[in-house]
Amino acid sequence: MTDVIRFTNGYLAMPDGTAIKSDLYISQSTGVIISGQSNFYSSLLPPGRTIDLDGCLLSPGLIDVQINGAYGVDFSELDLASGSEGETKYIEGLEVVARRIVETGCTSFVPTIITQKEELYSKLLRLLAPRSAEGSAHVLGYHAEGPFLHPLRRGAHSQTLLMTASSNPPIDTVEKVYGAAGLDQQGVKLITMAPDVEGVMDCVENLSKRGVTVSIGHSDATLEVATEAVDKGARMITHLFNAMPPIHHRDPGVIGLLGDPRRKTYYGLIVDGLHSHPNTVRIAYGAARESCVLVTDAQSIMDPNLPDGVHDWRPGVKFRKEGHRVVIDGTNTLAGSNSPLPTCIQNLMHFTSIPLPEALLTCTLHPAELLNLGGKGQLKEGFEADLCVLDWEGRVRSTWVAGKEVWRDDRLGKGDRLG
Amino acid sequence: MRLTIRDTKVEVGNYIGDYIARRINSFKPRPDHPNFVLGLPTGSSPLPVYKRLVELYKNGTVSFKDVVTFNMDEYVGIPRDHSESYHTFMFKSFFSLVDITPSNTHILDGEAEDLYKECEDYEASIKDVGGIDLFLGGIGADGHIAFNEPGSSLTSRTRIKTLAYETILDNCRFFNNDLAAVPRMALTVGVQTVMEAREVVLVVTGQNKSLALSQMIEGGVNHMVTASALQTHPWALVVCDEDATSELRVKTVKYFKSIEKVQDEVEAKYGPSGSLRLGLGRASAA
Repeated sequence: MTDVIRFTNGYLAMPDGTAIKSDLYISQSTGVIISGQSNFYSSLLPPGRTIDLDGCLLSPGLIDVQINGAYGVDFSELDLASGSEGETKYIEGLEVVARRIVETGCTSFVPTIITQKEELYSKLLRLLAPRSAEGSAHVLGYHAEGPFLHPLRRGAHSQTLLMTASSNPPIDTVEKVYGAAGLDQQGVKLITMAPDVEGVMDCVENLSKRGVTVSIGHSDATLEVATEAVDKGARMITHLFNAMPPIHHRDPGVIGLLGDPRRKTYYGLIVDGLHSHPNTVRIAYGAARESCVLVTDAQSIMDPNLPDGVHDWRPGVKFRKEGHRVVIDGTNTLAGSNSPLPTCIQNLMHFTSIPLPEALLTCTLHPAELLNLGGKGQLKEGFEADLCVLDWEGRVRSTWVAGKEVWRDDRLGKGDRLG
Repeated sequence: MRLTIRDTKVEVGNYIGDYIARRINSFKPRPDHPNFVLGLPTGSSPLPVYKRLVELYKNGTVSFKDVVTFNMDEYVGIPRDHSESYHTFMFKSFFSLVDITPSNTHILDGEAEDLYKECEDYEASIKDVGGIDLFLGGIGADGHIAFNEPGSSLTSRTRIKTLAYETILDNCRFFNNDLAAVPRMALTVGVQTVMEAREVVLVVTGQNKSLALSQMIEGGVNHMVTASALQTHPWALVVCDEDATSELRVKTVKYFKSIEKVQDEVEAKYGPSGSLRLGLGRASAA
């Protein structure tokens, strides 16, 4: 017997948005996708295990590049006063999310921190180096949303914590906030910043060259300013439509970047049906389908297992959950997003009338391209065996990380049949 | 030689697939010959046969766990995992779809350091398993069997073979129409290697094979039509579709159709085991 697992009797989600009926072979010991044929003729051993997909779709594991927290954990909360104890607690929280989030098909995520006190960043970013634990989704790095955001488009970010890069040169301020070490550390370094904030434009090129992915967001920029930022290296727009000027036909603003054939700019989209109208989603997707990246922008209250009703949130504040809509109790104010990726994928399918394999590209291939994640986001020989099995409604049946099954829908039992 | 004619190539595939499955299931292992040994071809003609065999495996009629296989040929000069290699063809069309034991499969290694040795070893390993019970084959438009191109010795064994210019041109379409990319050489079992199998079954379908079929059946034994050597095989069966009979004489077609009828009557009376006396395992009227 070998450590090779063969997935059969199902379909593979391909990078061109189609699905083909084919087998997939992975090695459990190396945790990568392998060639079944090479294995057949080289090892001369049959696969150790064959998994019957029962007609389901096998996809690369889902990647979420903007998630603020989940399962009661808030990635922006680090107790500085408790020193190393606070850091241990933070890592524990991170591990809880990594362990549980696999039930949503997510195998990699980028913890996102909203605007914090300046002194918190250097400590926090260090804790968000890449991290992979057995049975858990990969933590890829960090997404720092702020503090260089435009006050007019701050959304829920605290006005008093917003900053400008007014030093000379401006990069000194940026380095001082995130720390040179934070900007040059391993893994994903994604920073949402507004190019129309003083000094920020001058830093985009420097940041991009050192491996930071700059995303335009919480910005009041005109199209001209946004275009200049992209030409200097910015690669993404953070949660399109939210926290930016609405599109005007004579002044399209940041949104006007969509579909520019010479400047491929990825854009995050929260497709929970609440943050953007379904038809707005359809317009954006129709304009630039190759650069759409679904994000959950989930808050700590995101937990698919939480029943509807009123729950405690922060001291003195309760939230009311009605399906995927969460409001502050007693009001109609959205308390953030809490739709997991599969729900967003299903919404995207319905809003834009596309088939599941194409919808999956927005949280597999596209984020992998955006962040230059070699070895992720495609079912290709040599790529990591981070997988997700979905039925054709887009419901997750089982999740695999590094060649091991880390989660399975309870109703499917324990055998070799999925579906 | 017997010739069985079916209406379509799918029916040809079903007929041969069922036939091979029956052979595998009625096989009696002996200490010196513990496994059923099957010789296998590549190409488009045998695809319906493989399709049927996969179906039969999936519905539980037959298992390939204990079947040993030897393939006819492989190109020299393209890697094993090249999309046009016969390793790839076999894995995609058959091996990956059934329960065959990988170590029981044999395909000539066109990347071997010493190609001569590779050929000699291949012949030796066929002997080691007690010879081939049933060699399934196809024929080329010029009547070749395996890569035994016109002019090949009818007593040839596994060896290196230069491909005929016609074959190279024909293969061009599989290599992006780049003539330079088409392999010029192959390793192939010889005509004699096929002739030594206890039973040979050929699948011949399509009108483009009709001239070759008439030459191999109605012509004499001739090295320019290497498949004609099967005329001297004690137990050869050709299964073709109606299209492939286009160049045969009406008389020939009628004769073989009548034989099939008599064959059925013989089997009805003596059963398939009646011919065990002949050492063939099955009655034959041809």
